[in-house]
Amino acid sequence: MQSLSRLSKGLWRCVWALLLCLCAGSATAEPLNEPLKPLPTATRQSPERVALGRQLFHDPRLSVNNTLSCASCHQLDKNGADNRALSLGFDGLPVAVNTPTVFNASLNFRQFWDGRVETLEEQTDVVITSPHEMGSDWVTVVKRIGEDADYPRKFAAIYPDGVTKTNIQRALAAFERTLLTPGSRFDQYLLGDTAAISYEEKQGYQRFKEYGCIACHQGVNIGGNMFQKFGVFGDYVADRGQATKADQGRFNVTGDEADRSVFKVPSLRNVALTAPYFHDGSAATLERAVDIMFQYQLGRMPSAEDKSLIVLFLKTLSGQWEGKP
Amino acid sequence: MMDVSRRRSLLMLTLIASVLASVLLFLYIKSSADQTLMYTESRDLIRQIKQQDSLWENEILKARVAISHNYDPLVSPLNAINQLWERFDAIESGFGRNHGAQWNQAHSDFLQAIKEKTRLVEQFKSHNALLRNSLAFLPTAEDDIQQQLANLPDFDKLQLQNITTDTYDLLLSALEYAQVTSAERAAEIDLGLNKLAVNAQRLPQEFQAPIRILSNHIALIGREQPVVNQLLESIEAIPVAERLDTITTLLDRDQQRAEKIDRQYHFYMLLFSVLLVLSLVVLAIRLIGSFSEINRVNAALQTANDVLEQRVEERTRELKNAQSELLDAARQAGMAEIATNVLHNVGNVLNSVNISADLIARKLRNSKTQGLGKAMQLINEHPDDLGVFLQDDAKGKLLPGYLNQLVGAIAQEQQEMTEELTQMSKSVDHIKDIVATQQSYAGASSMTEPLFIDELLEDALRMNAGALTRHHVTVVRDYGDVPQVMGDKHRLLLILVNLISNAKYAMSDLSNRPRTMTLAVKTVDDSFLQISVKDDGEGIAAENMTRIFAHGFTTRKEGHGFGLHSCALAAIEMNGHLSAHSDGPGKGALFTLQIPLITVTEHA
Repeated sequence: MQSLSRLSKGLWRCVWALLLCLCAGSATAEPLNEPLKPLPTATRQSPERVALGRQLFHDPRLSVNNTLSCASCHQLDKNGADNRALSLGFDGLPVAVNTPTVFNASLNFRQFWDGRVETLEEQTDVVITSPHEMGSDWVTVVKRIGEDADYPRKFAAIYPDGVTKTNIQRALAAFERTLLTPGSRFDQYLLGDTAAISYEEKQGYQRFKEYGCIACHQGVNIGGNMFQKFGVFGDYVADRGQATKADQGRFNVTGDEADRSVFKVPSLRNVALTAPYFHDGSAATLERAVDIMFQYQLGRMPSAEDKSLIVLFLKTLSGQWEGKP
Repeated sequence: MMDVSRRRSLLMLTLIASVLASVLLFLYIKSSADQTLMYTESRDLIRQIKQQDSLWENEILKARVAISHNYDPLVSPLNAINQLWERFDAIESGFGRNHGAQWNQAHSDFLQAIKEKTRLVEQFKSHNALLRNSLAFLPTAEDDIQQQLANLPDFDKLQLQNITTDTYDLLLSALEYAQVTSAERAAEIDLGLNKLAVNAQRLPQEFQAPIRILSNHIALIGREQPVVNQLLESIEAIPVAERLDTITTLLDRDQQRAEKIDRQYHFYMLLFSVLLVLSLVVLAIRLIGSFSEINRVNAALQTANDVLEQRVEERTRELKNAQSELLDAARQAGMAEIATNVLHNVGNVLNSVNISADLIARKLRNSKTQGLGKAMQLINEHPDDLGVFLQDDAKGKLLPGYLNQLVGAIAQEQQEMTEELTQMSKSVDHIKDIVATQQSYAGASSMTEPLFIDELLEDALRMNAGALTRHHVTVVRDYGDVPQVMGDKHRLLLILVNLISNAKYAMSDLSNRPRTMTLAVKTVDDSFLQISVKDDGEGIAAENMTRIFAHGFTTRKEGHGFGLHSCALAAIEMNGHLSAHSDGPGKGALFTLQIPLITVTEHA
């Protein structure tokens, strides 16, 4: 008698659980509480500013010899960067570090590999005036933009003081803030659609957490919110050879010995699309990059299976911009 | 003199009042509640920054104990702090209060502290991430070795146990070190690492890698743990909260000072308000004084006005009385005038009647009918031999011829008398008309009828025919081409008779030249009918020209001074007018009557 009642109790519990599952399946699922966070929706920007920023973004007059626009290296139809280890500056010579993607850059806590500046506005300043990148100066840029037939009217419609350095920076930054890539399968998973990624990919995510990748790559941008020494277990630059000034990382900014070889942890969003990897573009493939991370950052030896699972997981992080992957 | 001084003092008072009012306005603006609001807002911002700072520290601690793997919360409070600070700074510089050495010091101290804290937190993040990772990995790494050790069959049991224990001890030391970081524990770890290194040499090749990994991670813990601890201590030591407190204190002090000034302003405001009120009161009293003065003057004016009005009324009443008396007199005079008028006109026409009657009587007296009696007497003397008498007698033979001539003469006489009687009856009719008209004088309704003006003129001439003949006046008729018009026959006749009569009289003393009277008729501008009577008689003296139509004016000793007056009235009654012209005494006169031209066809 007693066992019977217990049985029926168990049965009821099963039915309840099933019902709950159904409910959860049909209703909007709760977002998962993970160290990785889904991409936020873009902050609202005035469409005029964004349009102006887009035009400037594609305008080669920002570089001193009218050869490079922002979009020359940050190719929006590709991955927000180019495929070179080191992009070429206005003078055709390679620049110091690998071009990071402009996608989701607004979510990084600092800009540049060494975190020199905090805002996108400051970032535009550094790139335009860098003697290796665009090589221009603001007097020239403001003059060129101000002499355009179209720009002054557009600027005046948005900014009372018309074409100025600050306003060009603001417009570019406004456009860049719209460059987010939502809709990655992993984001869908984080938002509660647990079927969005496969079992293997879930296992890959599990390994990603277990091996401690998550220690640095976390938050909304899956990275991009802290600095870390490149080469915790072993000296990567020495092993690679041909050390450059850029390899000193944040030391170049702070002069603090503790900051030697310290870089901003890059975002892993769209990581499968943004080869080559690292500040020097030294890792050509994702697998190679994962290997280097295990060796120099985690100091561990993963099984081949775990590594491939992690790579599978990383491929779920590719989002979409303007509806395109 | 008094007026000027009073006006000047009033002006002074007004000036003082307006100066006081502007001072009050100035004080009001200076002591506006804005400042209090600003202090509240600034303090609130500082409080929020403080909150964000504690939140930040809270997140740091969470990260330290590895509750959270997400470092975003370690970034966002800083962003929030920066934003809040920007707002605070904007408010402060908006008030121009970011001067003052003390203030600048507090500001830069805070910014310095935040910058330092940010730097330390960034380092903490990096080091802590590594430390936590290695700590989390330690048991796994140790398990990897132990498992492999357990699977090592052909090995010295005792040695194996020692190695196992050593490895385990090392793990424990490392974990303990993570909890209590002391030099003692650090030495233990060093010892353990050395032991592990020694042990590793005894173990087979496949142990080298896991042992190296474990050693690396433990070495990392040994290295990073003091760093993290040190960083945490440093972060805690960063006096961000104190800096904020300093700013709050400064704010409080400033506010107190501002409030003190505010109180002063308020006191001054009160003082000036009282002064303003006082000056306004004085002004009001002055104004009331002026008002009573004005009222007094007004009352005096009112009284004077009343008296004046009364006098005007009296005068008006007197005038009214005088007027009614005059009216009465005028009415009596009018009645006399009417009577005179009637009598005059009737007299005029009676003249004609009289002449006609005279003429008939004379004709009758000298009638040829008497000849008929004589003829009959001849016939009666021969009752029996009438035939013989007529045939033979010399007288008898002439008788039939005589009778024949007589018949002709009698017929001629009768014809003349009939004409004269017709004329007389016309005159009598005219008299009847005059009387009838005079009886309806007040109404003065004009009786218009179709008229031929030349006929009317002939009638008028005929009425005066006797007199004109007597006075040997030649009448010249200068009649224009005038259509049949609508007119008041009686009034026109009256005027014409009068004018002809006057002309005749005017020429009565004329002996040196023939007496000529010219009657003319014509239309003027197709809108007026103009009839003029011109004589070449005594003329009118210029001084009499104005009085000529006045009632009672006359130059004749038997005249009434009524004829022309009534003519002028009649002309006016016909909407026309009568005018006189003379070149002077002895040069004749021209009287012109103009009446509106109403042709018969037009009227119909």
